[in-house]
Amino acid sequence: MSPQAYELISMLMRYIFVLIGLMIVWRSFRWLRRDARAYRKEMRSLPDAGLVGEMVNLATGEAQPLPREGVIGASRECDIRLKGPGIERTHARFAFEEGKGLKIIPLRRASVLLNGDALRGPGYALHGTQLELGGIPLRVRLFAGLNVPYPAPFGEQAAQPWPEEEDLERPPEWDGPQLAQPETEQEAYPYTGYEAPAPDSRDYDGHYTPDGQMTWQYAYSLDELNQAMERQNQQEQWQPVQPTDQVPDGEDQAYSAPPLRHRRRDRHA
Amino acid sequence: MREKSGKRRPQPGRAMLAAVMLFFFLGFFLLALNDGEWKSFLLAVLVPLIIFIGTAGMSKLFPSDQLLLALTNFLCALGVLVLYRLNPEKGMTQAGNYGVGVVCMVFCTYLVRYVSNWKWLTVLMVLGSAGLMVLPLLIGRETNGAKNWFYVGSVSVQPSEVVKLALLLCVSWLLSQRRFLLALLYVGMCLALLMLQKDLGTALLYYGVVLILLFAATGSRLLVLCGVLGAGGGAFAGYQMFAHVKRRVAIWLNPWADSQGAGYQIVQSLIAIVNGGFWGVGLGLGNASVIPEYYNDFIFSVILHEFGVIFGLIVLCMYLFIVIRGMMIAKRSRTVFHSLLAAGCTAMLALQTFVIIGGNIKLIPLTGVTLPFISYGGTSMGSSLCVIGLLQGVASRNEAGVNEDRELAMQGGGPL
Repeated sequence: MSPQAYELISMLMRYIFVLIGLMIVWRSFRWLRRDARAYRKEMRSLPDAGLVGEMVNLATGEAQPLPREGVIGASRECDIRLKGPGIERTHARFAFEEGKGLKIIPLRRASVLLNGDALRGPGYALHGTQLELGGIPLRVRLFAGLNVPYPAPFGEQAAQPWPEEEDLERPPEWDGPQLAQPETEQEAYPYTGYEAPAPDSRDYDGHYTPDGQMTWQYAYSLDELNQAMERQNQQEQWQPVQPTDQVPDGEDQAYSAPPLRHRRRDRHA
Repeated sequence: MREKSGKRRPQPGRAMLAAVMLFFFLGFFLLALNDGEWKSFLLAVLVPLIIFIGTAGMSKLFPSDQLLLALTNFLCALGVLVLYRLNPEKGMTQAGNYGVGVVCMVFCTYLVRYVSNWKWLTVLMVLGSAGLMVLPLLIGRETNGAKNWFYVGSVSVQPSEVVKLALLLCVSWLLSQRRFLLALLYVGMCLALLMLQKDLGTALLYYGVVLILLFAATGSRLLVLCGVLGAGGGAFAGYQMFAHVKRRVAIWLNPWADSQGAGYQIVQSLIAIVNGGFWGVGLGLGNASVIPEYYNDFIFSVILHEFGVIFGLIVLCMYLFIVIRGMMIAKRSRTVFHSLLAAGCTAMLALQTFVIIGGNIKLIPLTGVTLPFISYGGTSMGSSLCVIGLLQGVASRNEAGVNEDRELAMQGGGPL
């Protein structure tokens, strides 16, 4: 390519490069905004995101959210702030450890009691563990679903892990007299006298009309409800009120009752 | 970012990735039209392909932050393009560095994603970084007034770039464990060794990052005030102690006083920027190679010369977006260590970019640090991509945390 032609193309391409660059910047900016918005929305739907439970001050009843790790103390930057004469600026550090619980590490020999015992080094708190920091009693409450050992009864230091399903004690087998199994359909449904519903249909424990149809209280869908109401109306010989625009004689108020089948009725009446 | 079991959050989209790929296809194709070399045609196809694999393919390996990847890949490829245009040999070497850097980035991502216990790794890194920092003093050569390089065969290594990563990891971990004294001792050791190497630019960078990390870890304004005063005192002491610092400040104040001598670099850089104007002189039409260190310290001036000031602002916006994204990752982290690590990585990139671009445009005195992702050099490229890898690792951990929270919320979420 001749130098003149290349110069022309290259000078033209300057604008195209800027245009593509601007497009990339615009797209990045839009994406940053969209992502920030999506994240905020997601965090609103997950109010406990990043938390493992709460720390309840038993003296005041105040509960503070418990993050995965942080510091307890009187200082402004502490994750859990406590106020009291015995509380240091940074009193203890805590960190949640999978399968172990909430690790509590006293800082600078600050006074920490874990279930009544003075903590010299790191200790693990479980759900329900009572702590005492500088004379302030606290209760640790951990969320369900976390991988933590089974909380021991209050006062016991050794925590037991969650029992495996196969280790659970099963109830003893019933060795008393066995109930007689019904042999005929009549024996199985002695008080109905009508045809039992098909095995795969929904059994509502006798909430069927004598002809085996479902009653309106247990209707699943609007169609079923309408059908059941229709049947009930017919059986009880109810006459649905026809809607009308005309005001009945002798009534000043323009009011007409809606058709009975559309009237909302208390299902639990 | 997407975890297999998680919801899909908005992605930068194919349009942006296509725009990035188109940019480099056109850039290398234009150079190929000029020189008619088969290598240029090959790069016109290869570089967009690497960008595609590096951005879209990376998310298959782990839940990654695709915006961060796309912007990083753009800047790395821009470095390859500019270097290839000025010096094809350096451009090809830089393309190789880029490939190696991507591997390092993946390694760092996995490191942060899967390593939970950093205690022994921190001890190892502290010892390793001390050993590495001593090496230039023992076997290094003095370049531009600083003795911060050593050579292994024909390969030159700048240990301060590698130690940068160790510093980020170790200081973040020590501060998250509230071992302030140990962290300060380690940083003090690194700064002392850098002062002995007379590498003041990197020392400034380390100091700034540690100050930001200390503020993030403690929230103490007094500490930051002391740090800033200490930096002022250190700068004054450096000015008094080192002759080359005095010379650099004098050049910064008035480069035209010695435009053919000590101020030659900065004068040529300013001339190149002015010649480029708003739209640049055009790719392949400039004469930026007259600037000494055009491939390293002054690569931003070359970009301004050939692509123009408007494009330079676009590049700055990209760095800004990387910093914003990094801070978002730090804010969303679940643990103190990961939060500090992400904040440190972001601060490191931001400070480094500010220091070198500020030096290029005569905003601040010039210091010998590289422009992240763009400057020539394997160590610089590798360490910059490793920093992005660390950020990606924290981002993928955040994503796993959100998924875990979602599962907990499904199970009820209330206290046991």
